[in-house]
Amino acid sequence: MKNLWHITRELWQEALAFRLSMLYLLLLAVVALALPWLPLGYGPNELDLEQINQAPFDWVTKANKPRHWLGTDGLGRDVLANILHGARTAFAISLPVMLIASFIGLLLGAMAGLFGNRRLHLRRAFVVALLIGLLPFAYYGIYLPALLFSQSAAYSDFILTGIAAVCVSLPLVFVLTFLFNQLPFLNKKIHFPADELLLRLIEIQTSIPRLVLILVLAAIVLPTLLALSVLLVLTFWTGTARLARAEMLRIRELPFFEAAISLGFTQKRLLARHALPHLLGPVLVAFSFGLAGLLMLESTLSFLNIGVSTDLVSWGRMIAGIRTNTAAWWLVAIPGAVLSFTVLALQTVSYYVLRSLQNKN
Amino acid sequence: MTNFVFRRLLLAIPTLWFIASAIFLLSKLMPGAFGSTYLAEQEAGYYSKSDVAARDRNYRQFLQTTGQDQPLFYFSVTSAALPDTLHRVFPERDRDFLKKLSWQYGNPDAAARFFRSLKEMEADLSETERLQVKENLYTMYSHQEPGELQQALAGIAAQLPANSPYQSEVLANGSTLVVSSPGYTYLFPSVQWHGSENQYHRWLAGLLKGSLGTSLRDGRPVATVLGDAIGNTWWLLLASILLATLLAMELAILMVRRSGRVWRSTLLPSLFLLDSVPLFVLAMLLLVLLANPAFLQLFPVYGMGYYNAYDQSWLQQTSQWLQFMALPLICLVLANLPYLTNQFYQAMAAVAGQDYIRTARAKGLPEHLVIRRHMLRNALLPVITLLSDFLPALVAGAVIIETIFAIPGVGRLLIDAVLARDYPVIVGIVVIVAVFRLLSHLLSDLLYALADPRIRSHAS
Repeated sequence: MKNLWHITRELWQEALAFRLSMLYLLLLAVVALALPWLPLGYGPNELDLEQINQAPFDWVTKANKPRHWLGTDGLGRDVLANILHGARTAFAISLPVMLIASFIGLLLGAMAGLFGNRRLHLRRAFVVALLIGLLPFAYYGIYLPALLFSQSAAYSDFILTGIAAVCVSLPLVFVLTFLFNQLPFLNKKIHFPADELLLRLIEIQTSIPRLVLILVLAAIVLPTLLALSVLLVLTFWTGTARLARAEMLRIRELPFFEAAISLGFTQKRLLARHALPHLLGPVLVAFSFGLAGLLMLESTLSFLNIGVSTDLVSWGRMIAGIRTNTAAWWLVAIPGAVLSFTVLALQTVSYYVLRSLQNKN
Repeated sequence: MTNFVFRRLLLAIPTLWFIASAIFLLSKLMPGAFGSTYLAEQEAGYYSKSDVAARDRNYRQFLQTTGQDQPLFYFSVTSAALPDTLHRVFPERDRDFLKKLSWQYGNPDAAARFFRSLKEMEADLSETERLQVKENLYTMYSHQEPGELQQALAGIAAQLPANSPYQSEVLANGSTLVVSSPGYTYLFPSVQWHGSENQYHRWLAGLLKGSLGTSLRDGRPVATVLGDAIGNTWWLLLASILLATLLAMELAILMVRRSGRVWRSTLLPSLFLLDSVPLFVLAMLLLVLLANPAFLQLFPVYGMGYYNAYDQSWLQQTSQWLQFMALPLICLVLANLPYLTNQFYQAMAAVAGQDYIRTARAKGLPEHLVIRRHMLRNALLPVITLLSDFLPALVAGAVIIETIFAIPGVGRLLIDAVLARDYPVIVGIVVIVAVFRLLSHLLSDLLYALADPRIRSHAS
């Protein structure tokens, strides 16, 4: 962390592009956070049907109405308000999604890299018992709550199924493990192929292009923000996982890590104290690259109007307004420029950080 | 080599099966079967004079021919508080009602019996009777408390003549339903075995025979629908990938030259800039600037221009195709250029420091020969694998471009199918895309082996 702070300060003094990008991102963040207190004339979804398709910087304005600084779209929605609120939406979706996706990817990738195919030993009995124990857990923990929710049941029923989920599956796993251990075939230790499993999973997921996968899944789930975020997390964790795995494989061969292994530290300590600090830099770079990709994807989805509801304020929705009125250039130019500059700033920052990380190694 | 290809193909089959099955099952789990809204229009429209019963019959027939009235999978696990026959109840409105009934009173058998007798009674009603009991029926369908149900039942008993056999049955079943109380039966699972008469089996068997099912929207086979669309996408993708690769190679050659400092310092930043413009913004921008009467009308805006395509020679056809495809092509090439150029340039710059390049220079070869004959071939090796990795971005780009420029290709078909929830088409597209991806991986491996003798000898 300290290392990263040093890099940032160094880059701030050296590179002008880095400084500009950081300033832009900070400005955007401040505006997005301070939005409720800004003196905006219009709300983002407020229709002003008297002044539709108004060009920006067109100073003719009705009396007793605030000015549309950057024009309006075909329904009279204020472009400036939409852009500022759109920034808020964009980051409100992409930041948490990328955080969760990075966390999942880091965890799975680092574990796969650390354990490999041969270093995690499990008893067959335990694996079989765990798989069997998952069945009642899926019934009480997933199916029944979903059913209860659809029938709008009381809270006590949810708690009851939760208790049932734990009380049925946990003892089942323990009892079955004990029983299976008596059998000679199941009482053997096997290598758990963590690495192979992760690679297979990533391969399955990436066999379909991300946009196509999201479009297909968006047809299945309801167009809510939560569902979209879950979809994005499910498709975005693979990149970080791949990177973390590759870095972990590299770190494991380094002298200090071999020393730590030979000192007999536990796997947990190896992972948390020795590997993670070295993984954080690359993962952070992947985080901001991924954030840029996520911003693009989110606005593409709202441009296509798939997976998001139409009242979600977004840059993509504003750009989609050009399709009904192709003369309104400002509907593409202004939100498109803001979106592109944000992506550019994120990519510039991550490019510089990546370069100085590589120079350090 | 054949061994290697064969192994790759075998390994890919489970992946394909898993993806396609997952999408199929997920799509079936969601409520809202295709065409249920058609039934929900209670009033006969201006054009459709059919009554509710005829529409109901049509809908059932539609479900039967498309196999949607069968259970989803070989077995099903449901809560014991739900009746076993739930999946056979159509339309979904009725299914939800039965589900609610048996959930509320905790007695699936009584709920199913009551539901059946209610439906029989409703079918037996004459038009005037239906009007009389309309209000009470509505209360029954939307009731929250058992008291409301009892009241509605009593109301119906008072309004209808007592001699109808169905009516007494409804009353009897209703009273047994009301006295049963909700317990904790829902905590127990009930497992049912359906055998091979299920939707998944039917779909998978069809898939193995090469049939992807029929589109829900127009009843055409999915293979035909895809076949109509795939040509446009294929030519668009092929043309754009060829153009982009050639252009990227030439740009990389310009930059890697010794005198290419100017190119390096202008091209690299502008490509970086271009890379951060999302594809749909780029496409809309070009559309607004170059195909718009308000600015410059250089290109036709939308579609493919299908008129009078029959009596033209192939040259005329191609030129017309090009005219409509020019702008989409430019967009796709521009969007993919930064990544490709960067990769080419990196590969060439890595080769440029090698000893044999210095030798070539030392023996006095001109710069362009050094680059084209000595550098390029070695630099192309790593790029071959990149081209297949790069395919997802290209397919995603095609989806966006086809939607914006209204090109009737696979991407547009996907968007339309997603918006209409036409699941057979969606699953078909997923299968096609996955197969395409798989084949391109295979092709790149083969090309790599062809280009590099070291790998060839390694693999055999």
